[in-house]
Amino acid sequence: MDKLASLLHMTPAIFWMVVKVVIVFSAVMLLASVWTWVERRGSAMIQDRIGPNRAAIFGKIRIIGLAQLLADGIKFFFKEDLVPEEANKGLFWLAPFLAFVPALIGFAVIPFGKDFTSGGVTYHLSVLDPGNGMGLLYPLAIGGMAVYGVLLAAWSSNNKWSILGGMRASAAMVSYEIGMSLAVVTIFMTTGGYDPAEVIKAQGHLPWAWNIVHQPFGFIVFFTCMFAETNRLPFDFAEGESEIVAGFNTEYGSMKFSLLALAEYSHLMTASALVATLYFGGWQVPFVQNPAVMLSVASFLLKMLFFAWVFVWIRWTLPRFRYDQLMHLGWKVMLPLSMANLVFHAWRMSQGH
Amino acid sequence: MGVVVKKVELGWLDRTYVWPVMKGMSITFQHFIRNLFTSTAKRYTIQYPEMKKEIPAGYRGLHELKRFEDGAIKCVACFMCQEACPARCISIEAEEFSDLNITQGFEEKRPARFSIDMLRCIYCGMCEEACPKDAIWLRNDYEVAAYDRLSMKFGKWDLMNTYAEADGKDRISQDTTPTVPRRTIVM
Repeated sequence: MDKLASLLHMTPAIFWMVVKVVIVFSAVMLLASVWTWVERRGSAMIQDRIGPNRAAIFGKIRIIGLAQLLADGIKFFFKEDLVPEEANKGLFWLAPFLAFVPALIGFAVIPFGKDFTSGGVTYHLSVLDPGNGMGLLYPLAIGGMAVYGVLLAAWSSNNKWSILGGMRASAAMVSYEIGMSLAVVTIFMTTGGYDPAEVIKAQGHLPWAWNIVHQPFGFIVFFTCMFAETNRLPFDFAEGESEIVAGFNTEYGSMKFSLLALAEYSHLMTASALVATLYFGGWQVPFVQNPAVMLSVASFLLKMLFFAWVFVWIRWTLPRFRYDQLMHLGWKVMLPLSMANLVFHAWRMSQGH
Repeated sequence: MGVVVKKVELGWLDRTYVWPVMKGMSITFQHFIRNLFTSTAKRYTIQYPEMKKEIPAGYRGLHELKRFEDGAIKCVACFMCQEACPARCISIEAEEFSDLNITQGFEEKRPARFSIDMLRCIYCGMCEEACPKDAIWLRNDYEVAAYDRLSMKFGKWDLMNTYAEADGKDRISQDTTPTVPRRTIVM
């Protein structure tokens, strides 16, 4: 690795950083695009349909519908990139990136495997090494940034349906952020630190020591809020065909729309990684004291993909909420519940548990 | 008229919302698993070009002009179908044909042209009912499509040869005029 780094005129530390960045973000983007396929085929199976299985490479290789991804990508690239006459052009261009980037970079602090030592140097399997001072506050802050993408996309389109969708979505995201943060604060409190590596280490390798067992209500609140945060059903208020056309991305087409769609799925991936890290022991392998690095990575991936699948699964199970029901649930149920959770665990800690 | 709407009383378990959600998820998961382990051929969807729906008996599809064993057309150009057709898509031109080399001689009528405009046809089956000779039938075939309007105008030979090979008969393209009167063959 050192040799390769010197060949590229980089210090080994920077080289390792670049490798991590490339691997993590390309993997998340790949998973996000594959998840559009999972969503379509999975929903088809849940609803007794077949789903996309026709697209084929060279008219032959169908690979159970995965060629659809390629076809969609090519189609999006060659679509006309239309900008509405009355739109705020600069913001209209900026919005998809503002939606996509926060969704992706939230992943940066999450450790996706056990750290290992090679040649006297410890390598951490997360883009930002632990002890960077941001810890899990970073994905929460970045998650707050995601509101801007949706709201700017809506505002700059200069379309009343877009703005209605954007306003609804941003209201939902902002109000659910509080309940979610309180649930996470409870974890910080019981862990005694807000670094994801610490959170994972504190949970240990035994499944009954994971946070899901200690804080089931915290988990319910956090997971529910994640649906509102990622703007997915049953809380997808940014869109709504029956009410506001396509919501915040009504005016978007071509690759810009594709970016907005990808942003949703990257957000989903980041959210499920967060759930796995906070409540299900991150890369810890159940009942294995000191797992091999690859095993820990596989364990983390498995947990993350499971929760990503739960996102899809719930989307095709539950009907949408009404807006007032959403607000009711957010402010009158989720917030008190996470508050009670916080107070209960504070009391428990004061009793010396 | 007043209708009394029964209000459903939810138990505490249902009001938590978590338990009903899990019940719903188990239902969707059952569907998912069931479909995951059934081959696509056995699912409800009929994947059209490869699989085709079983057509019920009495289906009214593409027309066929029936032939006798020797290949001659059954139609006697009586114009009954043309009159019966509500869409007026059938047009017939009649002609006489004869074989006067035989001592007795005979003369019969047959269509010189028989065309159906498939774009106008509504597949009602009235022609089939009107025909006194059982010469026009509606088949099961429903894939009547073409790239231009002209090729949707089916002529006599098109109608006589619609999927003829499936019947085991050879395709024909000219009148095989019988050398003896038809009735002697039939009897």
